[in-house]
Amino acid sequence: MTLNEFPVIAKAAIACWGLGSLLQIPARKSKAFQGISWLFLLSGTMVLVWFLASYWIALERPPLRTLGETRLWYATLIPVVGFLVEYRWKIKWLKYYCLGLAAFFLGINVVYPDVFQKALMPALQSVWFIPHVVVYLVAYVLLAASSVSGWHNVLLNFRSKRSTVSESMSHYLALLGFVLLTFGLVFGALWAKEAWGHYWTWDPKETWAFISWLAYLGYLHLVARKTDPRSLQWYLGLAFLVLLVCWFGVNYLPSAQNSVHTYSG
Amino acid sequence: MQSSKQPLKAGSSSEGFKKPAVFTVTAIVAGLAIEWLTSGSGISVPNWPVNFYFLVVLTVVIALVGLKFRDQPLVSWLGGIPVGLSLIIGLAMLSLIGGVIPQDAAKPDSLASLLRLNGMFSSWPFAFVTLLFLFNLGLSFVWKIVPFRVANLQFILFHGGFWIALSCGLLGSSDLQRLVIPLYEGQESSVAYEMPSERPVHVPYSIYLKEFKIDEYVPQFALYDPSTDKVIADKSKLLPEVKKGARAEWPGIASVTVLDYLPSAIPDSNGNLVPDQGKKGVSVAKVRIVADGKSYEEWITDGGPEIKPRFVPVGKYFLGMMAGQPKAFRSDVMIRGASGERRTELLEVNKPIDFHGWKLYQMGYDEKAGRWSTMSLVEAVNDPWLPAVYCGFFMIMAGNLLYFWKGVKKMEAA
Repeated sequence: MTLNEFPVIAKAAIACWGLGSLLQIPARKSKAFQGISWLFLLSGTMVLVWFLASYWIALERPPLRTLGETRLWYATLIPVVGFLVEYRWKIKWLKYYCLGLAAFFLGINVVYPDVFQKALMPALQSVWFIPHVVVYLVAYVLLAASSVSGWHNVLLNFRSKRSTVSESMSHYLALLGFVLLTFGLVFGALWAKEAWGHYWTWDPKETWAFISWLAYLGYLHLVARKTDPRSLQWYLGLAFLVLLVCWFGVNYLPSAQNSVHTYSG
Repeated sequence: MQSSKQPLKAGSSSEGFKKPAVFTVTAIVAGLAIEWLTSGSGISVPNWPVNFYFLVVLTVVIALVGLKFRDQPLVSWLGGIPVGLSLIIGLAMLSLIGGVIPQDAAKPDSLASLLRLNGMFSSWPFAFVTLLFLFNLGLSFVWKIVPFRVANLQFILFHGGFWIALSCGLLGSSDLQRLVIPLYEGQESSVAYEMPSERPVHVPYSIYLKEFKIDEYVPQFALYDPSTDKVIADKSKLLPEVKKGARAEWPGIASVTVLDYLPSAIPDSNGNLVPDQGKKGVSVAKVRIVADGKSYEEWITDGGPEIKPRFVPVGKYFLGMMAGQPKAFRSDVMIRGASGERRTELLEVNKPIDFHGWKLYQMGYDEKAGRWSTMSLVEAVNDPWLPAVYCGFFMIMAGNLLYFWKGVKKMEAA
């Protein structure tokens, strides 16, 4: 499957999620509707999983090279976080944010279609390629969810409807995200040594990865310092902006002219 | 789950952060002042063994201060979270400047150059903040080690690993040697070049390049439209591949079938193309073109040093072939050590080899010559501090795993 079929796939996924979300209204009172609703919600994600698998086969390489390809993974994975959170904490609202984010990223890929290119430059042909990128992607997905949850909690606090369960969820999403971010950073360093000769060169992408890691390291120290969780929701909400710069923004910065990560543009 | 349950204890927030913030800002301002006074000359890390002595002294001072003066308010403040957090933010801010401003040559009288914002990671403010951070991190590490408790293992591994990786990575950067060795087929060389100065250096071994080889992805068809100066492609910009039996279609323009494809061929004395295993061959495809109701056979090539690229007209368009991108490139080399030891190796991207403490990397080739390059660039790297830095990395990962495990357990309990 190539990118020519992608708009149809994206629309199908969004339609499934939309319908599944609407069916959540009658699902409050009916178990049958609940089942159908979840069938649609999961189908939306399965459509994307199927597309990713067939796109991988068509490309003859992991679709993890371009920013468009990472958005595709992101759109596939972030609803899963929403679903798992509902399963774990019985918090229903996070999945709607996650679905909204996923639809937004699919929309970007429809409007700015990627270039179908099988070529994978030699430096990327490494055993580290998949672990490094996948670990980072899952970290980004979890930290995005923690950020969304952080903003939601900020709004709840404004309306004096504080939920400590929801704050707890933001924290654990950030904690898991940080663990994976750390692995991603170290995997990247180990790979860089094998591919480029040195584990750390202060390449702009590396620098921003370090800044985002420090941002979440700061968060965990604020938690250790027993900072008021209400203030920390702001922190989590804003910290993700740093990750966004690292993910997309770096390519547009003046410092990125000589980045070794330009293949991901 | 009850929403009234307290997952995290509420407590002080900005309390206690003012002095650490002033402390960090002072360190940064002092560093910037030194840069200003020295016109942004930066800091040079001393070479071995001075950097090692410095590390030993730093370690001993931290351990002594941490253990002997643990109860002193100043020491407990220096090793506390507020100072650590302020320094983390300081490091992040300095890295942010380094991550936005290009880290290369700037006009000598520009503000970026005078304050060394264009060389942030070798600047005095960065060095001061890092040194203080190492002090803070080191103190907290010492306090968790003495007395040792298994419950502190995650903290020890993560913080200790970070301390080792950061200190050894930065202090060892002066001993890192990264040299480029240009090799030519059929020749031996032991001359390397420091970059970017291009100063020649003799390495304690020589490398003989038997053969340099590039594998390319299969070529792709290109239907060129001279009126727009563009190659016609569908929405996904997918260009059909040139393989024997492959069929490409441009709706309303033409369809093309590949009758035969030779990845490497040269013309014989009669002008016929014959397969060639040598270095001079070019990719050639014999194709049947169906356009405007007519069918005809032609051959196309992306060309090489001996043969020009060949495009054939298809109506108002031209059909040609674009060379595939490099898939892999490798150098078949023989390395000879100072003692006469010989080793035959295949150097490839992502597959460096070790030779007497040096790591040799396939770095590049003559890109103008492409797959006909007879020159290979090898990077030789010697980093004596690497084992220490890797030790730090693995400690961080081990601590990280424990953190994940503890986090999941806490999450289950929440």
